[in-house]
Amino acid sequence: MEVVILILVVAGALSIIVSGVWVAIALIRAISVPPVRHPDLSGPGKQAGRRPVQSPLGDG
Amino acid sequence: MDKVLAVIAVIAYTAVLAFVAVRARVAREFVEFSLARRALPLALVFGSIAAAYVGPGFSIGFVGRGFKSGFLFWGVGLAYAVQNILVGILVAPRLRSLKDCHTLGDAIGQKYDRKCQILAGVISVGLCTGFSAVMANAGGVVLSNIFGFPNWVSVAIVVAATASYTTFGGLRTSVITDAFQFTVFSILLPIVLLLAILFHLDGGAVTFIRQASVATAAGLSSTSTVEIVGLVAAFLLGETLIPPYANRALASKTTRVSRNSFILAGIFSAVWFMVMISLGVVARSILPSATNEDHVLLNLVKSIMPVGLKPAFGGALLLVVLMSVIMSSLDSLLNAGAVAFAEDVVKPYYARRTTHYALRDRTALNVGRCATVGIAIVAAAGATAVPSIIKGLLICYTIWAPAILPVAVIGLWVKHPRPLAGILSMCVGTFVAITFQFILPSVIKVLAIIPTLQCIISSVIKVPAIIPALGSAVLAYVLGYWLSCHSRESGNKVECEGWK
Repeated sequence: MEVVILILVVAGALSIIVSGVWVAIALIRAISVPPVRHPDLSGPGKQAGRRPVQSPLGDG
Repeated sequence: MDKVLAVIAVIAYTAVLAFVAVRARVAREFVEFSLARRALPLALVFGSIAAAYVGPGFSIGFVGRGFKSGFLFWGVGLAYAVQNILVGILVAPRLRSLKDCHTLGDAIGQKYDRKCQILAGVISVGLCTGFSAVMANAGGVVLSNIFGFPNWVSVAIVVAATASYTTFGGLRTSVITDAFQFTVFSILLPIVLLLAILFHLDGGAVTFIRQASVATAAGLSSTSTVEIVGLVAAFLLGETLIPPYANRALASKTTRVSRNSFILAGIFSAVWFMVMISLGVVARSILPSATNEDHVLLNLVKSIMPVGLKPAFGGALLLVVLMSVIMSSLDSLLNAGAVAFAEDVVKPYYARRTTHYALRDRTALNVGRCATVGIAIVAAAGATAVPSIIKGLLICYTIWAPAILPVAVIGLWVKHPRPLAGILSMCVGTFVAITFQFILPSVIKVLAIIPTLQCIISSVIKVPAIIPALGSAVLAYVLGYWLSCHSRESGNKVECEGWK
């Protein structure tokens, strides 16, 4: 019984670390994606039709 | 040695935080400043909510409680987890599904009318400023204790650093830096527990269970049933839907993300409390029993550091953790207050004054930025006047729940909410809360321990005025609704059936 409770506590600590890593990965993805570059449609054929890169947090 | 390591830790932490904040980019539109374009993914919303509610109380406070009363407080803390899960299931998706909604006040405005929105906005701004002052005070105490600065200097440093990135980046930067701060403390503190269990717990599982049993029995014998009920009520209602949480619900990418992030945050809080309580229980076999509750975590961290590094490294580590938990809460509050000011106070005011001129997006953004700076200045000035962290938070919670909760929750569920009911409920709830808090504070006295967002403390205090105030607010709402229905002709009575 004692061992089971201690295992639960250790599992809880590990699950919090895992959630921290999960959020860290989302954070790295969010700050590493460049902002949207709006295509310059003014010039003939200049980047027209090229899709912008969408940041996970929207454009900036 | 201690100070050198602490300075290095602060510099390194600030450098990484600055890098993260810069990468989060400057907000160029109000919808970016207030809602991060409603594009936040699940992991970031969850991390941000958890970072906002984990403060000194939910870390240092819970470790101290585990040291003194074992797992008693874990049972009480489960009420907080239930609150988050209920908000996730019942409220957050409804809030997120509203169109063009930036704040909780905005939601109230859509459901009731503009007057209700302005009133909710004023309450939100006031409460966010109050909360921010308490957080600034906590940050000042931490820095002053470590570096020996005068308190006002420490407060100014913490507030200026936090306001600098919140002012320019808005909610998006706040959420991203929260995620960084969440990562810091959610990895470091469980590692402390694992180190303590694996290398410093003589007797292993048997010792842990024995210490937990003894401490929990002591806690139960020294806490009355009334106190436990009061604690559970405070954990359940204390900070439901305060502006930073509402903003995150609204900024989620979808209603599903909004719901799931609150549910995950609720589950996380239950596990987090267990880990913090376990740290306190483990500390019982490592530290002297006379150790001050508030020093248990610091002393534990110092004593389990590898030989050669302790205690200086332990102190620096804890400093980084504490700065993370404080700044993550403070930036959320500054941003929530600023957005509430721009969206719920200034915008409706302009709309009422002129029918032809709506506040331009750029102007709204600038108003939000100025409001962030303004709230930060007021909070820094007020921080030195905060009597104690717990008292300051108690006042804020006592006013928040009665003033806003009935109106917001009923408004989201009732088909045709009545503006009169909303106004009456907010006014009566605020009035009764302030009356019981400041004018008639000795009406009810019970030994209680008030759990709050940031701090837990045990002392003889008055039972929170939240209970009579909340009851009055609900009664006022019912009265207002009844008056609205009966002051019109029978044609409107059909609408009133939405209440049933």
